[in-house]
Amino acid sequence: MKAADAWRMSAIPYSEMAFKSILQNSSNMWWGSFGRGAASEVSEHEDLVKRALRIARFDKVILAVVVTAAAGVPFLPLVLGATYGLAASVTLSLAVSFALIVLYGVQTLASYMGGEFPPFLSTLPLLRDDVSLVNLFSFVRTSDYPVVGTVACQVFFVLVVTGSVLSGLFMLLAGIVNSAIAVTVSLWLSSLFYKGIQGSRRGGRGSAIRLVMLLAWGIAVLGIGVLFAATGYLIPLAQGALANPNALTSTILSLVYPFSLGVGVGATAHLFTPSGFEEAALAATLCYVLIAVAGSWWSMRSVASFPEGAALASGGEGARDTSATVHGPVGAYMLKDLRMASVNLPSAFLFALPAFETLVILVYRGALPTLRASTLLVSMVLGGLVALILPLVLVSSESTGFDFAKTMPLRIRTIVFSKASIATAVYLPAVAVVFLEAMLKPLSSPAVGLIPLASVLAVASASLLEVRLFLGFTPAGRLTFVLQDFARMAAGAGLVILPALTYAVAYILGSGQYLAAATMLVVALIELVGIIEFVRRS
Amino acid sequence: MVGELIEINGLAKTYGNARALNGLDLRVMPGEIYGLLGPNGAGKTTTLRITAGMIEPTSGSVIISGFDATKESLQAKAKIGYVAEVPILYESLSPRELLEFAASVRGIDKESLNRRLAQLAEAFDVVSAFDSPIATLSMGTKQKVAIIAALIHQPPVLLLDEPLNSLDARSNKILRELLALHVQKGGAVLFSTHIMEIAQKLCSRIGIIFQGKIVAEGDLDQLRAQTGGKDATLEEVFMKLTHESSEVENIVRSLRESFFENESR
Repeated sequence: MKAADAWRMSAIPYSEMAFKSILQNSSNMWWGSFGRGAASEVSEHEDLVKRALRIARFDKVILAVVVTAAAGVPFLPLVLGATYGLAASVTLSLAVSFALIVLYGVQTLASYMGGEFPPFLSTLPLLRDDVSLVNLFSFVRTSDYPVVGTVACQVFFVLVVTGSVLSGLFMLLAGIVNSAIAVTVSLWLSSLFYKGIQGSRRGGRGSAIRLVMLLAWGIAVLGIGVLFAATGYLIPLAQGALANPNALTSTILSLVYPFSLGVGVGATAHLFTPSGFEEAALAATLCYVLIAVAGSWWSMRSVASFPEGAALASGGEGARDTSATVHGPVGAYMLKDLRMASVNLPSAFLFALPAFETLVILVYRGALPTLRASTLLVSMVLGGLVALILPLVLVSSESTGFDFAKTMPLRIRTIVFSKASIATAVYLPAVAVVFLEAMLKPLSSPAVGLIPLASVLAVASASLLEVRLFLGFTPAGRLTFVLQDFARMAAGAGLVILPALTYAVAYILGSGQYLAAATMLVVALIELVGIIEFVRRS
Repeated sequence: MVGELIEINGLAKTYGNARALNGLDLRVMPGEIYGLLGPNGAGKTTTLRITAGMIEPTSGSVIISGFDATKESLQAKAKIGYVAEVPILYESLSPRELLEFAASVRGIDKESLNRRLAQLAEAFDVVSAFDSPIATLSMGTKQKVAIIAALIHQPPVLLLDEPLNSLDARSNKILRELLALHVQKGGAVLFSTHIMEIAQKLCSRIGIIFQGKIVAEGDLDQLRAQTGGKDATLEEVFMKLTHESSEVENIVRSLRESFFENESR
């Protein structure tokens, strides 16, 4: 079979795998909720399938745009006239694109790991090698747009900044090596995570391994966030570390991935003036090229064996007893949701997001001597708004299993209270972050201490409202479904913002911090009581 | 006098312009296994899904053990155990986690749960799979887990959509025995199947569903009487009632001609 035919044919298994991956990884489907039909018109399953198809179609394109843009950001200081830092810019660009490709790859490759590789190719009159080639190309398709976009962007910026074809070619090599290693790492991590998380047995050691893996994943994702958010600070830092050729750190950095590639590009453009360890960097680059080649070879062999079920992790002893325990309906539903979230990598990230967002704001305002009301209001509200993704994620994560819950004697409000409780609990670490900060620096007024409490109540109200609205309560009117979904999220956001707004208004009107904080607390309480009543009645 | 455990009146369901059910009526008495037999797309699954409270009818009513499935859905669902044709389960949970969830929501006490789980898991040979993610189980094992989830609360009404499709011979036999015991105790079963022998052997009454409504019902003799074929098999009765006999004959004739066309050339 010609390679071009195999490439063309690989679009079919790729689409199927992307679709299955998204359908399996239902917490990823929250953004695909936008524009879905009303629950009463189509079955839940049909709705989910349509959403998964929609996401499968656009997910990779959206990621390609994001990764390409992220890979370009570290070059902006150079384009804007900075005359130093090419090595650091290339290094950071490679690090960011590497991290994003791995992040996406690990999630997308889940269905390859699940042993659900479309078997129909093997049933066609095709040679075994042809089938392997088609499978390999379908795997390549999982990251083709992001890789091509990223490498093209990096080469473009290096050519613009240096005007050197040699530098451009070196960047091309560095970009390809970086992408090849990133895809190999994605595949390896997918296998590791699949075996440890989704495919593992429950209970005891399996749970401990799962927790460690989820924590590792959450920390890695937060690390990527920091890397991306702090690019502006990291470029001068990295360049400073590289600038002294006599320092041991510089020599070590020149050997470390992806600094070696960055130093290599800088050296070819003669923009990396300090010299003395370019040779070490070039030697290390050669090693990374070999690693990329070996990694690609391993990936190809692994992917070719997937249709035979090689990725499936099985084994270990089966369960020996059937003992089980019971809970109340709300507790059982919460436990079910948490158990489902504990086998889902993206959830680990989303669950940490509100606390992370709050921490970022506090760090940005870290120079202030006291913990002021304005800092707290902004950080708590932004953390709260991020927490409002959770209700939608929790509703989406029901996936096709929701049909099972529909056969149970469950009140809608049981589901609403359980999901809203989880969303509110996820927000609590944000409050913990604030309390830790309060231990390090004094409050501008004791009244400020009421702000986190009022914010928790507001997030609880917003979560209750959002879950209720997303579980099928369709507002009247002829708004399109997209607008309806935005309206549902906006309603939740309004409940988070309103108490903070009343604090600000009361303070501006001269009430003082105590009265302003009390007003905020009362408004948040009224919201909560009103929403609980709404959920109970609806 | 004991009333019906399942009473369906004038059930209609439309999806956009498509009419899945068209005024379907049926009743299932205590101690009865009612087989719902019909061609693909006749409305069997829609009937069972509405009866289980998963979707709402466009019109008509379903009464389960005296409770309206739409207006008193919680009470009605408490009386039902439902098994879908393709098992619908939370696939990232293990059978133990899923069954704990189902039992908790249904308010079963721990002692009863553990006693029933031990019996049913042993009977269906799924003990060793109890801690594996459901997604990694075979279709047959998933089906067994779905059956245990439907039986765990010992409901008076069982709604089974092609439940024997993926089961091995052992589990198939055990399920049929369980259904017999269930109706002996006064329970009712609404059962959809494509397999004529099973319908004939297992069901006390059979309803032929075609184009969204019951076109004939009764035991085999009553169905024969309705079609005029005294010694007709259930398959022949079914074909006649669904107007497929002559169509199938024509298709088979055409296929035979095209199969042997090459040889005659």
